[in-house]
Amino acid sequence: MGEWLIIILSIAGTIIVYGAARKLYMRFSYPFTLPIVTGTAAIILFLMSTGISYDTYMSGGQWIEHLLGPAVVALAYPLYKQRSMLKTYFWPITMSVSIGAVVGVFSGYYMSLLAGLENELIASVLPKSVTTPVAMELAAVINGPPPLAAVFVMVAGIGGVLTAPLLYKYFGIQHVLARGISIGSASHAIGTAKALESSEKEGAASTVAMTISAVIVSIIIPLSASWLF
Amino acid sequence: MMDILRIMLHIGILYLFYYAGVWIQEQLNLIIPGSIIGMLLLLLCFYFKLIKPKWVELGTSMILGHMPLLFMPVTAGTIVYVDLFAGAGMWLVVIAFASTLIVIIVTGKTAQFFAKRREEHG
Repeated sequence: MGEWLIIILSIAGTIIVYGAARKLYMRFSYPFTLPIVTGTAAIILFLMSTGISYDTYMSGGQWIEHLLGPAVVALAYPLYKQRSMLKTYFWPITMSVSIGAVVGVFSGYYMSLLAGLENELIASVLPKSVTTPVAMELAAVINGPPPLAAVFVMVAGIGGVLTAPLLYKYFGIQHVLARGISIGSASHAIGTAKALESSEKEGAASTVAMTISAVIVSIIIPLSASWLF
Repeated sequence: MMDILRIMLHIGILYLFYYAGVWIQEQLNLIIPGSIIGMLLLLLCFYFKLIKPKWVELGTSMILGHMPLLFMPVTAGTIVYVDLFAGAGMWLVVIAFASTLIVIIVTGKTAQFFAKRREEHG
């Protein structure tokens, strides 16, 4: 009985926190007020101040987490909707997204080696460019903690959105398609949301790029894992 | 009310593809995560018109629109790693950030090069 109550309360609590975080973001839209940032912080503060353990919370939270599998499957839908763009620009998109995926994984890897970090930590940073559910799954495959992977995905998302306008300017990236592809490859859904604010085409390119990037990184990471670690 | 039922049905279809993907991954011992295989399967089904996008539309927009809710329980798991962010974790934040900048520059430049070529040569 008590167990069920905890499950229901943690699910309801998470939904309420998320709803409030969304409302807050609608009023104050900054990268640092994204619902995932404020919502996560709220849950952590709540658990810390009440002394409720994370495992207890997760007895309910895991039911929400379970929906991440079908969420990844759902990415097929936006990709299919943009199939005409993918067809027209098939090579520009696949070439640049593949290069971006390789650069993303290996630049993270070599910088981590330089910093002398342990394997478990390195594993959690490698999938940072792809959308959170995929990144967590990939981190788990190479023995990196999924929660940490999710944090670095947030860093990639927010960091990319904050700096992209400057980078476009300094490196002369004016092409709408190139902007969409680069932000989608580097900053996944957070970048795509930003690209959609600029133009529909940029958003479409970003959508396609983030989905294809997720597929490519899902091949690169497990494949190279044996000689990376 | 009908919408809620429809959303549940659509998410049910997504689950079916997810489990099919996981099953294929286990049977064939593939390295790609089952969820990604499920996504590719659904994409193929759209492509060969075995499944109409309309059949999953409501469910996908619901689930993709509220993705942050779905991974909030996991991101809250950083509570276990809070101490890490005083030391090595800070390095990782810097690395994740720096690597992201590199990806934007390299991908953007490459995409621009190929996209311009595509437009010039048709």
